[in-house]
Amino acid sequence: MTTRIASLLLALCLASTANAASVVGERITLIVPNSAGGLMARYAHMIAPFIAKHAQADDVRVRIMTGGGNIRGTNYLWFAEPDGTTIGFTSIPSLILAQLSGSEAVQFDTTELVYLGRAATEPRVLVVGTESGITSADQLKTLGRPFVYPSQGTDEDFYSMVVLANALGMELKLVMGYDGNADTAMAVIRGDGDGQITSWRASLGTIQAGDEHPVITLGTERYAPFPDVPTATEVALPESREAVQAIANMLDMHRGFFGPPSLDGQATAELRAAISAALDDPELIAESERQRLPLIPSPGAVEQSKIQQITDASTVIVPIMQAALERIR
Amino acid sequence: MLEAIGAGLVSLATPQAIAFMVIGVVYGLVVGILPGLGGIVAIALLLPFTYGYEISATLALLLGAHIATIWGGSVTSILFQVPGAAKSLALVFDGHPMTQKGEASRALGASAMAALLGGVFGAIFLAISIPIVRPVMLALGPSEYLMLALWGLTIIATFSEGSLLKGMIATALGIMVAFVGMDPITGTPRFWFGIIYLLDGISFPVAMIGLFAVAEMIKLYVKGERIANRVAGTETSTVLDGVKDTLTHWWLVVRSSLLGLWIGVLPGVGASIGGIAAYAQAVQTSKTPERFGKGAVEGVIAPDATLGANEGGGLMPTLAFGIPGGESMAILLVAFLSMGIVPGPQMLTSGLDIVFAMVWIIVIANVLTTLLGLAISKHLARLPMLNPNIMIPLVLSICLFGAFATRGTIVDVIVAAVFGVVGYYMDKYDYSRANFVIGMVLAEMIERNLHISLSLYGNDFILTRPIALVMLIFVIVTTALPFIRTWRKNRVAAEAAS
Repeated sequence: MTTRIASLLLALCLASTANAASVVGERITLIVPNSAGGLMARYAHMIAPFIAKHAQADDVRVRIMTGGGNIRGTNYLWFAEPDGTTIGFTSIPSLILAQLSGSEAVQFDTTELVYLGRAATEPRVLVVGTESGITSADQLKTLGRPFVYPSQGTDEDFYSMVVLANALGMELKLVMGYDGNADTAMAVIRGDGDGQITSWRASLGTIQAGDEHPVITLGTERYAPFPDVPTATEVALPESREAVQAIANMLDMHRGFFGPPSLDGQATAELRAAISAALDDPELIAESERQRLPLIPSPGAVEQSKIQQITDASTVIVPIMQAALERIR
Repeated sequence: MLEAIGAGLVSLATPQAIAFMVIGVVYGLVVGILPGLGGIVAIALLLPFTYGYEISATLALLLGAHIATIWGGSVTSILFQVPGAAKSLALVFDGHPMTQKGEASRALGASAMAALLGGVFGAIFLAISIPIVRPVMLALGPSEYLMLALWGLTIIATFSEGSLLKGMIATALGIMVAFVGMDPITGTPRFWFGIIYLLDGISFPVAMIGLFAVAEMIKLYVKGERIANRVAGTETSTVLDGVKDTLTHWWLVVRSSLLGLWIGVLPGVGASIGGIAAYAQAVQTSKTPERFGKGAVEGVIAPDATLGANEGGGLMPTLAFGIPGGESMAILLVAFLSMGIVPGPQMLTSGLDIVFAMVWIIVIANVLTTLLGLAISKHLARLPMLNPNIMIPLVLSICLFGAFATRGTIVDVIVAAVFGVVGYYMDKYDYSRANFVIGMVLAEMIERNLHISLSLYGNDFILTRPIALVMLIFVIVTTALPFIRTWRKNRVAAEAAS
């Protein structure tokens, strides 16, 4: 009897070992659903060899899979074997928003993807033009007229603005159709629009020139070089803070690694550890400085918890987004 | 200011800066000649190799490469009907007919010289315009951009000889193809039939490769002839003829350069519109507009001068406002910031030497590109004389590789092949392919700017925007002018006959 029980336990142990997937010695495919020459692809090519090194994998091969604004590659990853040999790297907010906005092409569910770590993020800011007459976040709440927002499409900034406007209780006039950041910035400086959401880096020149003023940071914390500019959560009406925090979390996730749903536990642990180690590797840090691709890492487990917060707030966010889409269509 | 002009030039006199400039120009020429790859790709690929060098040397490498890609794109447009990038499209209209007439050397000479003069005039105008650029940029907005696009659209009449209806049908087809993908206003998918590939729309370079290059190779295969209608060795034109042509049409060069500079200055107006608008003004101001589309050298000079000047203009939004004017400037901005330069109006005071270093780079890179271009043009001009059995597989391989390289997807290669068949039949039945691509380029610009104008200024925006109103009148007058000239000519001929 004892021998039988011991044999059964041994069999169970062997079976569980056989099922657990390790990426050691494996060839990993890193799907990048963005354009071949873009920043996301450059980040992926730069980091991939270091993930291979720290995961002790045979190789990490970058596979560019452009199409449908990150959707094609992510759809592919959604159906990949959850053994750790196929993972993805892209702008996480764009995936979340594609799903929340109800895009017909989306076959994935971002709440079921497994997040493996963030490589970089770039804080965003709401800047207003001098012509708008607005100088502070508080003034936005008592504007007495619609805030004119020139937009280049239904991207992260568009959705962030509609949630932010709702959180501040201000009326928004969306002017769609602008072609890129330069076009929207010119509209704001000219006075056609009141303000725009952009990255701190892109707006540094116009801020220093006095053509635009930063009024709200859309990150989880204040931006160090401009400590007087409040975060969106600080200025939001109390009942909207959860929604604004969710948007801030979402933007904060930015350039992240992720795996298919039900990714094997052992593979998840190995990949999270390898990605963290890779992003701390002094050789990669030096390379990122050489290539001018800054790294701001965050562990996979932290990123996974942000998804939960975003999901919890989605019941509030989704109706706001859908109402904005209805207005522009 | 004189001190800054001198300091800018001196900063480029180091061995490192000179070497980087030469490397940048040679590399840019090669990238420019490859279809589907343009200045943005050239700069993006170079960026990782610029860490830790002199500021002027880094700028010489990046800007030099970017400038050289422009003429590289013109070469393939003229010789093989393959625009290296969307901005080189207008070179196809008359450059390739010149090649077919056995005047490839002349076309290449005119193209290189026009690009040089355009670049130099652009740089000079840029330096002079610095004090007025801000107010001008602030005065022009979406309504004025809309009028510019409408002006570009008027040249469809030039390519509709024989049947205006066929010309309109070709343009409408181009507009319909441009509508495939995400609507630029609301993000609503249009004509995607559940195929994710179509959500991104049809890539413009891919469509051009198919419509012109692949279609031309099908035509060569069917006819079994060489591209140039004359046999090798009988070409009477020389590169020098083209250089002389450009100098003879100096006023056209000046006008086109000014146009190119200001189109470059305005964010949201692409260089591809610049080439088409330059071509439109060349046609509309010509006393013999009927020669255009059949190998008129002015049709090569005007777009190349515009493209040459465009680069200087592209620097202005970055310098005057700190806004990168286009994708290539956005990449340069990354380089600027990492070198400790914050672009913006302060550069026009405290960083004026860097501004003039860039102006000098534009001038010197243009001179280098032209010298290299003139030296190799004679040899390049012999390429269309190649036997079709060598030419067809060679050009098709490069083009289909280019189609793949634009977005890295094999579907683009299939799409290029499909457009090749479409282009072949359009050419066979006299539906202008030029009108098709003009419709494709201008559709989105018109859609965007019409929508923004209506949203911001209301339905009667044209009456509330005086500059746009003046531009509209100008569009109507310049469109009517060739028709009035023809009518007068016919009347005089009729009177003489009676």
